[in-house]
Amino acid sequence: MSKPAELLQGTLDLLILRTLELKPLHGVGIADRLEQVTKGVFVVGPGSLFPALHRLADRGWIEGEWGELKSGRRAKFYAITPAGRKRLAEEKRNWNRVSIAVNQVLAEGLCT
Amino acid sequence: MYLRRIYARLREPRRAEADLDEEVRSFYDTMEARRVEEGLPPEEAQRVTGAEYGPRAVVIEEVRDSRPEAALKSVVQDVRYAARQMRRNPGFAAVAVLSLGLGIGANTAIYSLMESILMRSLPVADPESLVLLNWTSRPPQDAGEQWEHVVHGIQGRFWPGDRGALVTGIFPYAAFETIREENPVFSTVFGYFDGMQKNLAVGGQAVSASTEYVSGGYFRGLGVTPAAGRLIGEEDDRAGAEPVAVISYALSQQRLGGPQGAVGQSILVDKVAMTVVGVTPQGFFGVDPAEAPDLYLPLRTIQLVDADDSHSLFQDQNFYWLEMMGRLRPGVSMEQAQAALAPRFNHWVASTATTEGERAKLPALLLNPGAGGLGSLRREYSKPLYVLLAMVALILAITCANTANLLLARASARRREMAIRLSLGAGRRRVVRQLLTESVMLASFGGVLGVMFAVWGVRVLTWLFSRGQENFTLHAEMNWHVLGVTAALTLVCGLLFGLVPAIQATRTDIIGALRGGRGGGTRHRLQHFLVAAQIAMSFVILAAAGMFVQTLNKLHSVELGYARENVLLFTVNARQAGHRDPEIATFYLDLRRRLEAIPGVSSASLAHASIISAGHAGKTYRGPVRIGAVAVEGARVLSAGPRFHSTMQIPMLMGREIDDRDQPGSPAVAVISERLARTYFGSENPIGRRITFVGEKRDLEIVGVSGNLRGRLKDESPMVVFAAASQSPQEGMTYALRTAGDPMGYVQSVRGVVREADATIPVTNVVTQAAEIDRTINREIMFARLCTGFAALALLMACVGLYGTMSYSVERQFGEMGIRMALGARQGEVVWMVLRRVLVLAAAGLAISVPASLAAAQIVKSFLYGTEPNDPGTMAMAAAVLLCAALAAGYWPARRASRIDPLVALRHE
Repeated sequence: MSKPAELLQGTLDLLILRTLELKPLHGVGIADRLEQVTKGVFVVGPGSLFPALHRLADRGWIEGEWGELKSGRRAKFYAITPAGRKRLAEEKRNWNRVSIAVNQVLAEGLCT
Repeated sequence: MYLRRIYARLREPRRAEADLDEEVRSFYDTMEARRVEEGLPPEEAQRVTGAEYGPRAVVIEEVRDSRPEAALKSVVQDVRYAARQMRRNPGFAAVAVLSLGLGIGANTAIYSLMESILMRSLPVADPESLVLLNWTSRPPQDAGEQWEHVVHGIQGRFWPGDRGALVTGIFPYAAFETIREENPVFSTVFGYFDGMQKNLAVGGQAVSASTEYVSGGYFRGLGVTPAAGRLIGEEDDRAGAEPVAVISYALSQQRLGGPQGAVGQSILVDKVAMTVVGVTPQGFFGVDPAEAPDLYLPLRTIQLVDADDSHSLFQDQNFYWLEMMGRLRPGVSMEQAQAALAPRFNHWVASTATTEGERAKLPALLLNPGAGGLGSLRREYSKPLYVLLAMVALILAITCANTANLLLARASARRREMAIRLSLGAGRRRVVRQLLTESVMLASFGGVLGVMFAVWGVRVLTWLFSRGQENFTLHAEMNWHVLGVTAALTLVCGLLFGLVPAIQATRTDIIGALRGGRGGGTRHRLQHFLVAAQIAMSFVILAAAGMFVQTLNKLHSVELGYARENVLLFTVNARQAGHRDPEIATFYLDLRRRLEAIPGVSSASLAHASIISAGHAGKTYRGPVRIGAVAVEGARVLSAGPRFHSTMQIPMLMGREIDDRDQPGSPAVAVISERLARTYFGSENPIGRRITFVGEKRDLEIVGVSGNLRGRLKDESPMVVFAAASQSPQEGMTYALRTAGDPMGYVQSVRGVVREADATIPVTNVVTQAAEIDRTINREIMFARLCTGFAALALLMACVGLYGTMSYSVERQFGEMGIRMALGARQGEVVWMVLRRVLVLAAAGLAISVPASLAAAQIVKSFLYGTEPNDPGTMAMAAAVLLCAALAAGYWPARRASRIDPLVALRHE
């Protein structure tokens, strides 16, 4: 039961860190960006986005700071920290290994 | 980072919440604004956003739940809930906490005693690198043979090693020098020697001070820093050096006005003038946890203080007396040290052997860890302590079984609650965690109570262990080590007795429970099993207590051959206060007369030691004895003063006892014990015959035969030769006063009389004869008392368990009983029905434990006297006590069952 959820959570963390690697963003910005980059494959609702952001912030991988949107509304902007960059590098390596492995398994399935 | 953020949130929860709220609100507002931009009216935009992302409150809740402190919050919730449960059922909580407290308290107390005796290190620098030097060899005297060994004389202790070998830590001085010189493995090697009690005079006042002679490297080797002044060094331990002394912190406070004031003061040690140069730090007690010397003197001052017998100590290569320790050089292991030194010692000791027999059993060097100091206490108490620990562990097991049982019974009362929680979707894990929180909380309260019991228990134990020892140095206490172990034990107990009921509780048949049915057979079986196990464990403890009490009774009924009550003993040492031959003999005799004149004292006498310790303490003749040409084997010589037999109430069978006629110059006389007379004279009359002390070349005329007497209660009565004390060499003397009423009431008068005779002689070792005898069976007394207490505790717990189980089972069968009553069963039949079940449980418990007890009894066999480990009487008695207690515990539920009103019972169903 809990395994796929954990996998998803880890993936979301990775995606958020990757998104923030380029520039600091607020909640809506991150959601938009993820949707845009993955061409609508990933639609992240606030119910999973905010817990993930807070979890990452607790770990010290990202840091939030209040800023102002163009509309004049206040929003919290998250920026990746040096520790977050290190983590991201690790996660990337991990992901590559896992995805290669998964692809191999799937490819084998095709052959037989 | 991690903790800082959590801490910030916990410290300012409002701010954190407002922050989160605004953040999420900002998200929703932005999204709504987009919808509005797309052309929706504001209300519609809000609705659509809400529909797409769910209510804002849910998002906020999700974030909160994902925080690490959320888990903590649920624990707090569990604890609150558990506390509410305890409050709701205070009777149950009180019984559980109290019994756990007793169980954990007993364990903590015994464990803290173990910690202080078996595990604690010396309070010196880096104790781990200290090594004790011992040696081992075959015993000098093989059965019935002559003593043939390189050891020609000893002053010190031997103890048994493996396979009949003996082990000891005493060496000749030459061995010390051999091992010390150019030592590659030890940075320091130092020696020490028990100087016993010395007469210490400070400014005209004399006290008795326990003394340790130490070599020049002693304090440096131990790594001790003085509290004041300096400690003894190599320069003090030379022939001809200024005589100096180092005193203990305690002595400096009692007699010399504190450590600072003590340095530089002059003292007299057995009339020899010395200068105090330093004070040891507080808490330092030398190398033996069983002793605490007041006075440390350089080894070489033996020649000044104990002038008489000291000349041979430093020269004789076959006289063993000096104990040694070494400190390993950094990086050297004990095994390496052993390998380096064993050949060296072997080479040296071989050079001291003169005959083939001596060469056949040369001592072999044996290194032992020295961190804990000398092992006399450890050797004496480790086995008793493990036995006691096993017992208290059993008690704790009974307690846990008991609590588990109570929880099981309660779990059935809470079946509806559990069923409701499970059916409302609580995970099984969550419910188990909740129940475990409750049991661990019970255990924690029990643990806290247990520590309080233990603080008190340690005092009682220390008192039991130290009985009769004047300067008992053991300080068992609640330190972090002990408390840590207790905490761990508490946690384990909580989980242990909580887990089974918790798992059982969640296996509830939800529908059945909600309907109010009364099933649950497995739980019932489990409860019965637990009760039987408790009975079994209680029986083991009861049987042990029975055997130890029996042992003590047997020992107390041993025929001593002399009076036990109304005798006061104390020691006076005139030689240490400067009295010399021949005046010393008259001094002692005169003091006896003065003591006898104290009102209430019917007679007074003296001997070289008390009867109990005469075999190993004090100065008396210990060499070979002959009657004519026949060597007397195994006789003890007791130097006794006038009226010794009357004072001790030893019957005279023939002739007369030693009296005032026997002066230093008059013909030498002796009284012999009946066994000696029987063995060597048979039916002849020994009066007027002569007995010879070969070593002193003295012939004594036998003037009387007395009854037999026992020194140690467990030994057979030895053959005794009573020689007139005034005609024997005299050191310290132990006086015995026969008093009317409590002997301890005469102590003041005794001190007064002795002060009058010579104010510089302290009165020491003041004790009643009864206490002196009890001292020799201290272990048996301790076992009997503790085990009786433990047995009572175990029995009580088992009864509580039985009572609880029976009450519960009666309640469960409320309806059945009602029907039986309605069908005309008589009250007696119902009572019997319940009691029969109690008996079955008790019988099951006994069936398990009788064989177990028989096996366990073999372990304590060496602690028993006059009773066998499988003594059927004791076993039967224990079983009878247990059955009675079980029936008493079962009677109340049975009675309640018999009073059931059939109408009420049937309606209840």
